Amino acid sequence: MIDPLMIRPEIALADFLPIFISSALVLIFGGVYVGIYTAVKVKYLKPWAIIIAYGFWTLTAYCLYVMGSLMHVGDFTAKALVVAAIGLFLLPFAVYYMEDNVHKNNEHDTQGEEDGK
Amino acid sequence: MANNHLTSESKQLATWYLTFAAILFGAQLLFGLIAAIQYVMPGFLYGILDFSIARILHINALVVWMVFAMFGSVYWLLPDETGIETIGIKVGKLAYWVFVAAIVVVVLVFLLIQVGPASDTTIWFITEGREYIEAPRWADIGIVVVALTFVANLFLTGMKGKQTGIVTVLMADMIAFAGLYLAGMFFTDNISVDQYWWWWVIHLWVEATWEVFVGAIAAYGLITMIGAHRKVVEMWLWIEVAMLFGSGILGMGHHYFWIGTPEYWWEIGALFSALEPLPLVAMFVHVLYDWGKTQGAQNANGDETSVITNKPAFIWFVLNAFGNFLGAGVWGFFHTLPQINLYTHGTQFTSAHGHLAFFGAYATILVGMMYLAVQGKNGIKVMKNTKTSIWAVSMITGGVMGMTVALTIAGYVQVIVSRAQMGATWAAYFDGQSGVWFTQAMDWRLIMGVITFLGFLLLAKDLLTTGKNPVHER
Amino acid sequence: MANKSVWSDNRFWQRSATWVTGFAAILLIWLTFDTSAQISMGTDKDIQNKVTKRVPGPTVINYKITYERSPKRGLEVPIIGGNDGKGNSLFQEKEKFFGRDDWSEKEARAMLHLGKLGSQAKNCMDCHTLLGNGAYYAPDLTKSWLDPMWEDGTMQAIIGGTLGKELSKEEAMAEFLQHPELYPTHARQMPNLGITKKEAIGIVAFLKQMSSIDTNGFPRNFGKMKGAINGK
Ligand code: HEC
Ligand code: HEM
Ligand code: HEM
Ligand SMILES: [Fe+2]
Repeated sequence: MIDPLMIRPEIALADFLPIFISSALVLIFGGVYVGIYTAVKVKYLKPWAIIIAYGFWTLTAYCLYVMGSLMHVGDFTAKALVVAAIGLFLLPFAVYYMEDNVHKNNEHDTQGEEDGK
Repeated sequence: MANNHLTSESKQLATWYLTFAAILFGAQLLFGLIAAIQYVMPGFLYGILDFSIARILHINALVVWMVFAMFGSVYWLLPDETGIETIGIKVGKLAYWVFVAAIVVVVLVFLLIQVGPASDTTIWFITEGREYIEAPRWADIGIVVVALTFVANLFLTGMKGKQTGIVTVLMADMIAFAGLYLAGMFFTDNISVDQYWWWWVIHLWVEATWEVFVGAIAAYGLITMIGAHRKVVEMWLWIEVAMLFGSGILGMGHHYFWIGTPEYWWEIGALFSALEPLPLVAMFVHVLYDWGKTQGAQNANGDETSVITNKPAFIWFVLNAFGNFLGAGVWGFFHTLPQINLYTHGTQFTSAHGHLAFFGAYATILVGMMYLAVQGKNGIKVMKNTKTSIWAVSMITGGVMGMTVALTIAGYVQVIVSRAQMGATWAAYFDGQSGVWFTQAMDWRLIMGVITFLGFLLLAKDLLTTGKNPVHER
Repeated sequence: MANKSVWSDNRFWQRSATWVTGFAAILLIWLTFDTSAQISMGTDKDIQNKVTKRVPGPTVINYKITYERSPKRGLEVPIIGGNDGKGNSLFQEKEKFFGRDDWSEKEARAMLHLGKLGSQAKNCMDCHTLLGNGAYYAPDLTKSWLDPMWEDGTMQAIIGGTLGKELSKEEAMAEFLQHPELYPTHARQMPNLGITKKEAIGIVAFLKQMSSIDTNGFPRNFGKMKGAINGK
C-alpha cells in the first residue's frame, strides 16, 4: 500500500508551471516597473507613464502572491516576500533620490579633477 | 608590436591576461560542446574522454578564464585610477607565466591521466574531484601564491597612487576573493562538512565577491565610456556593495537546504536570497540612469552625438547589466525558495541558471573589457561597431539564451517526471531523461551551443582585427 | 556644500557598506559554529547510546537504514536500525555489510575514508549529484544505497546472473562500480573508472553512510512512488 501522504507532493503537479511562470514574472514586471520609473525621471518618457510603472509594480506584487500561495510557503517566507515586494517598490525612489542629490551637489565641479579621464 | 599605443606596462600586462582569457574561453566552449554531444549520443568518446572529463575542462576553463580576465581588467584600470604605473610589474609578469604554465600542466593531466587511485597522491597531483575546483592541491597552492602577488601589487599601487573609491572597493574585494579560495583546499570524510565549505568558495565567489568586482568594473566603464560622474558612480558603488554583501553573504543559505545542515537555513536562505535580485535590478537602473543623464547633459549643450566612446564595449556592458538581472536575478529567483528547490535541486534548471548567470553577469562584462583593451592598445578615440562585432554579440547572446531556454524546458520535464511524479530514483531519473521534450531540449541545447561557438569565432576575429579598422575615430 | 544630505554622502555609504558587510559576515560565522557542531560526524558511541546525529558515524554501516516519513517534521528522515513508529531511529536492527555486522569504528572509518577519497579521485561529482550538488548526467547518489533497483534485487539478479553467483546488495554494488560497462541498463552508461575491489568496498560504505545523513527530506518521496508512474 502507498501511504496517501507520501504520494501527494506538497506542490500539486498542475501547480509547477504556474509557479515557475509567476516567479519569472515577478522580477520581469519588477524590472519593467523600475525601468519605466527611471526612464520617466531621466525624461526619456512622459511623466504620465509613471502610472504604467505603478501598474507593473502591482502586477509584481500579485505574481508574488500567486507564487507564494501555490507554493504553500510558511508564515516566515510569506513575510519575507512582502518585505521583498515593498523593497522593490521603494528601490527606484531611493536610487533616484540619492543619485539626483549627488548630481545636484556636484553640478559645479563636473569638470573637477576627480573626473578621471 | 609596431604601432602599440600602450605606454603603461600595467596595460601591456593586462593585454596578456585578457588574451589568454579569450583563448581559454574558446577551449571552454569546445569542451562544453563535447559534453553536450554526449547527452545526445552517449557513445561519443565513451571511455576516451568521458562526460566527467569534458565537463571538468568546461567549467574549470570557465572559472580560470574569468579569473584571468579579472586580473587583466584590474591591471588595465589601475594606471587610470591611481594615476601611477602599477608597482611590481616584474613580479606580475612572472606570476602570469607561472599561472599559465600551471594551467597547461593541469589541463594536460586532466586530459591524459583523468582519474587516479583513491589516495592522497591523487588529491595532490591529479584531481580533487570537487566540482569547479577539481584542480589538484599543488595547483591550489600555486593559485593562491599567484593571487597573493596580484593582490600585493594592487595594494601597493593603490596605497601609493590616488586611492579612488573604485580602487578601495577592489582592494577589499580581491582580498576576500583570494582568501575564500582557502576554504576549498582541505579534505574531509564528512560529505556535509565538505559541501558546507565548498559553497563558501562557489557561492561567496559568484554571488558576493565577483558581483562586487563587476560593480567596480561597471563603475570604471561608465566613467571611461560615457563620461559618467565619478562622485555619483562611486557613491552608487558603495550602495551596491552594501546591498550585494548584505543579501549575498547570508543568501548562501539557499545551498544549505538539503546537505545535512539544520532546518533553520530554510528561513535564512529564503529571506536573504529572495533579496539578492534587488541589487541586480538596481544595477540595471543605474546604468540606464547614468546613460540618460550624461546623454541628456550633452544634448542640452546642443551636441547630439553619442556620449559613448566605445560602442562594442558599451553593448557588452549593457548586456551585462541586463544579463545579470536576467540570469542571476530572474533565473536565480526561480528556484531559490526551499519549497520549490526541493524539486529543482540538482536538475537541468540549475544548469539553465548557471549558464545564463555566468554568461550574463561575468562573460559579458569581461568581453567588454577586452574591447576596451583593444581600443586603448590601438590608440582609438571613438571605437565603432563593425559588422563582425554585431554578429558576434548577437550570435553568442542568442546562443546562450537559446541554450538557457532549452535547459529550462528540460529542467521542467525533469522536475515533473523524475521528481514530483516518480520520487527521484535511478529509474525515475532515466524516465525523465528519455521523454521527448527532454531529448529534444538536449538537441536544441547542442544546436544553440554550436551557434554560441560560431559567435565566439567571430568575436575572436573581431578582437584581433578591429583595432586596425579605419572606421574608428583616432 | 553646506546643505549636503547624508544620503548623498560618499563616506556615509562607505561606512554603511562596511557595517552591513561586517554584520552579515559575523552572523554567518556565528551560524557556521552552530552548524558545524550539528553536522560533525557522529561516533560509534552515539549509535550505542541511540543518539540521532545529522551525520551518523561510520559504524552506521552495521545497521539497516531506511528512509521514512517523520510525522513530527512532516518530511522523510533516515531511520537507522528500525523505526519506533514515530519516525525515530531505534538503532537495533542490524544488517550485514560484506558478511559482517560488527565492523569496528576503526575499520569502518578506514573504509569510509577510502570511499570518500575514491569519490573524489574518480570525479563522481562530475556526472552524478551528491546531496543534490554536482552534475546532471547521471542519477543522484544521495540515497542510491536505498534505490529500488538495489533494494528489490533487480541489479543483484543482473549482476549475479552474469557472474553466475548469488550476490548481496553491497556485493552487487561493488561489482557494478568495478565494471559498470558490463552491466548497462540504459544507453547512457557509466564508464570503467579503474576502481579496485578495495576501493569499491570503500565507496559502497561511503554511499551507505551518505544515505543515513539527515537531508531535511531531500529527495522527496524517494522510491515511494512506484505505483504512481505517469501521474495520477
Ligand atoms: C562519466 C560519468 C560517470 C562517472 C564519472 C561516474 N558515474 Fe556512476 N553512473 C553514470 C551513469 C551514466 C549511470 C547510469 C548507468 C545506467 O543506468 O546504465 C551511473 C550509475 C551509477 C550508479 C547506479 C545508480 C544508482 O542510483 O544507484 C551508482 C551507484 C554509481 N553510478 C556510482 C558512481 C560512483 C560512486 C562514482 C564515482 C566513483 C561514479 N558513479 C562515477 C555515470 C558516471
Ligand atoms: C552572478 C551571479 C550568479 C551566478 C554566476 C550563479 C551561478 C550558479 C551556479 C553555477 C549554480 C550551480 C552550482 C552547482 O554546480 O551546483 C548555482 C546554483 C544556485 N543559484 Fe546561482 N548564481 C548567481 C546568482 C544567484 C542568485 C542571485 C540567486 C537567487 C536569487 C541564485 C540562486 C541559486 C540557487 C538556489 C542555486 C541552487 C540550485 C540547486 O539547488 O541545484 N543564484 N548558481
Ligand atoms: C558552446 C556552448 C556551451 C555548451 C554546449 C555547454 C554545455 C554544457 C554542459 C553539457 C554542461 C554540463 C551540465 C550537466 O552536468 O548536465 C555544462 C555545464 C556548465 N556550463 Fe556550459 N556550455 C556552453 C557554454 C557555456 C557558457 C558560455 C558558460 C558561461 C559563461 C557556461 C557555463 C557552465 C556552467 C557554470 C556549468 C555548470 C552548471 C551546473 O553545475 O549547474 N557554459 N555546460
Ligand atoms: Fe548561491
